[in-house]
Parts: sequence; C-alpha cells; structure tokens
Amino acid sequence: MTGEVLAFWVLAILLVGSALMVVLTKNLFHAVLWLALALTGTAGVFLLLEAEFLAAVQLLLYAGGIVTIVVFAIVVTEKLVGERLSQVSRRITGGAVVSAALVWLIVSSIMERPLAITRAPMSGDLTQIIGETVLTRFALPFELLAVLMLAGLMSAIYFARPED
Amino acid sequence: MLELVTPLIAPIVVLHVVIGIVTYVTLLERKFAARMQSRIGPYRVGYHGVLQPIADAVKLMMKEDVVPTAADKPVYNLAPIVFLVPCMFIFATLPFAPGLGVADLNIGVLFFLAVSSMEIVGLFMAGWGSNNKYALLSAMRAVNQVISYDLPFVFSALIPVVLAGSLKLSDIAAAQSGLWFIFYPVIGQLAFIAFIVSTVAAENRAPFDILEAESELVAGFRVEYSGMKFALIQLGEYAHILGASFLGALLFLGAWSGPGPEWLGPIWFLIKAMLVFLLVTWVRWSFVRIRVDQILALSWKALLPATLLLLLATAVVVVWRANAGL
Repeated sequence: MTGEVLAFWVLAILLVGSALMVVLTKNLFHAVLWLALALTGTAGVFLLLEAEFLAAVQLLLYAGGIVTIVVFAIVVTEKLVGERLSQVSRRITGGAVVSAALVWLIVSSIMERPLAITRAPMSGDLTQIIGETVLTRFALPFELLAVLMLAGLMSAIYFARPED
Repeated sequence: MLELVTPLIAPIVVLHVVIGIVTYVTLLERKFAARMQSRIGPYRVGYHGVLQPIADAVKLMMKEDVVPTAADKPVYNLAPIVFLVPCMFIFATLPFAPGLGVADLNIGVLFFLAVSSMEIVGLFMAGWGSNNKYALLSAMRAVNQVISYDLPFVFSALIPVVLAGSLKLSDIAAAQSGLWFIFYPVIGQLAFIAFIVSTVAAENRAPFDILEAESELVAGFRVEYSGMKFALIQLGEYAHILGASFLGALLFLGAWSGPGPEWLGPIWFLIKAMLVFLLVTWVRWSFVRIRVDQILALSWKALLPATLLLLLATAVVVVWRANAGL
C-alpha cells in the first residue's frame, strides 16, 4: 500500500464520516462544524490529485461560506432568539434509500467502465493552464457564470428589501 | 540522506523558530507600546525585562484550566487548536531566503490567504462553545469584519503578484531584486497602505478591535479561556500577525534583499517583517476604536473599490509595459 493510497483512504473515511455527521447530528452548530471538516477534506482530495490551486481556492471560498452558514446557525438557534431549534432528520428512510440508489448507480457505472489507473501526465503549471483556458477557450461560460451569480445576488437583495 | 531528512526536520525547526519569535514579539509590542505611552513596560524579569515572555509562558502553563459548566465541551476544547493550526500553517510556504523554507509552493500567496482565512472557524468555535453572551457577540462581530476585510486584503496582496507575474513567493521576492514594490511609482505606495489597513483589520486590532472591545465585551471570544488554552489562542493570534508581517515584507519590501553578504538575507527579512509589525502596532496604539458601521463603510465604500481599481490599473500598466518592451 503506497502512501498515496493510504492518504486516500484516510481522507475518504474522514470525508464520508463528517458528511454523515452533518446530516445526523442534532446540534445545528455542530453540523456546520462537521461541514467545515468535510470541505477541508475535499481540499485534501484536491491536494492528493496534485491540484493545489483548487485546494487553496476550496479553502479560501468555503472558509467564508462556512462563516456565513454559522451566522445563520446561530441566528436560528436558541442563543439569540430564545427558541430552541434542533435539526431533525425527517424522512430519513426515504433519504437513505435514495442515497443508497445513487451510490449503487455511481459504483456500478464505474465498475462497468473502469477508469484508467495511471493518470495522464500533467504538462506545465496547472494554475497557469486554468488561468489561460478560463480566459480564452472557456471565456463565455465563465462570463455567463458571473452573470448568473449577479442575478442571484440581485434577487437576494430584492427579497431582503424592506416592504414599502 | 540529507534529502530524506530535510523534509522531516525543516518543519520542526521552522515551527520552533516561529514560536520563539512569536513569544518575543509580544515583548517587543509591550515595550513599544510602553515607549509610546511614556511608560517603561516590562522591566523586572531579567535585564530590561528580556525574560518576561518566559515568565508569562510559565505562569500560563501553571494556571488552573477553568472550563465553564455550561460550555459546549468538545467545541470549547477544540477551538484553541483549530485556531492555532491555520496560523502555524502560514509559515509552511514562506521562504526565509532563496531555497530556505519548508515548501515553496507554486501557489504560495493563494495558500497563505486560504490558510489564514481558516482561522475564523476556530474563532467561531471559541465564541460559540464558551456559551457566554459576550463571547457570542464577539464572534458575530467577527463575521462582519472578517468577511468585509478579506477581499481588500486579497486584492492588495494580489497587486505584487500581478507586478511579479507569479503566485510563487520566492519568485515575487526575486522580482524585487532591482526595485522593491513599495517604491513602484504610485501603485506600490497605495497598495502598501491598503495592505496595512486591511492587515490591521484582519488581525482585529485597534481601531478595528470591536470584537474584543475590552470596555464592552471584556475580551471578546476568549473571555472564558484560561491557562494553556488562552495561551494557545494568544499564540495563534500573534503567529497570524507575524505571518502577515512576513508577507508584507515579502510582497512590498523585497524580502531578503539588502546590503551585505548573502547569509544576512534571513536577518534582513526578519528586520523588515519587524518593521511591518511595528507599523501595525503603531497604528494600534495611535487610534481610538471606531464603530461597527464606520468599519463596514470603510471597507465596502472605500477600500474595496479602491483596491479593485488599483488591481485593474496595475494589470493595465503591466500589459502596457510588456507591449512597449520595457
């Protein structure tokens, strides 16, 4: 067993375990912290694939994201509004069936057509390649994504504006 | 043999050196603050108080570890570690001289920013886990500030990246062998000011210290911590500010370039980092605390558009110079 395989399994167990804890724990704040762990684990997977840029961006963006979710978690828990709100997993059986089916689908399709074990060699600096392709070949989708995010922001402002 | 041992030993050496510097940086700040306020500062322990940090450390280690009954125990106990680890990771990518460092990553600057932004998770765990109204209020205030000042911090740090054309920290340092980026006409000085302001804000220091405002929140998110846990939080905070000082010295002050033989490089780097640190401390002891709305307005209405424009201007200048063949 090489170090890479060992690291993969450690990360995989960490990721799946923390992701399960996100939905299973009753305490909303703990759920957010488990989510933070899961997102950090994802960054670890990116590192394992030698995509340092993606790993750093994952940490940078989701650290901010987690903070925002934490705020919501605190606002809706008993600490500030005096009302107890614990996370309940309704329809847990249905959810389990759906996720089991999804896992079966993914695993069976991978088994049917196994991925190449050896990775294609990376030519050049990954960060540079990402930067160049985003600004040349994928410029249009990139800009469209920006427009989509702007639309999301504007609709959030629309919903949040005070009634007059 | 050396290639095999270096990756194992280098992190340990860097960790200990950093902790040593961090401990003495507290003494430097106390002496500097005392000087600004016409006081003497720590004086009794050792010659002119040079052993004060050691006395502090010993005191904190022997203190009773008080855990509030109503605290969320796992979160409360984990928080100092979650707070400290990202602050220590910062130093993993810093080169202290050409080829001297733990790992000179291709994405050095980005790694630095990503890791240092994770610190907020530990801060939140401390604020929430303490089960204390002051600590929670402090954590809520931290969100405002950290989200607001992350972007100007990133943008102002990206300006030297654009000038040097690389995210690798050693490349940025090498690009300044001719001209330090702080002396780059107009752009350099403005970017440095923006960097210092957002560093002060990101480190939660006066005038941006609403989240630990001692007159209203006692000590903010760490009010319930004592003994070693308090020491870990303090260590993390000072490691973070030291990391930011090293980053400032590397991005704007030419890192290890300076007169004298090459082995003086790390010493020059340390001196420059200490200058940046003293600049931040100077700001801290010179201004009064400002209100929440003033803090937010400064970031969103002034600093963010200014740094964004500056980044665009830098890109234009760099492309223009490249096309003109300069």
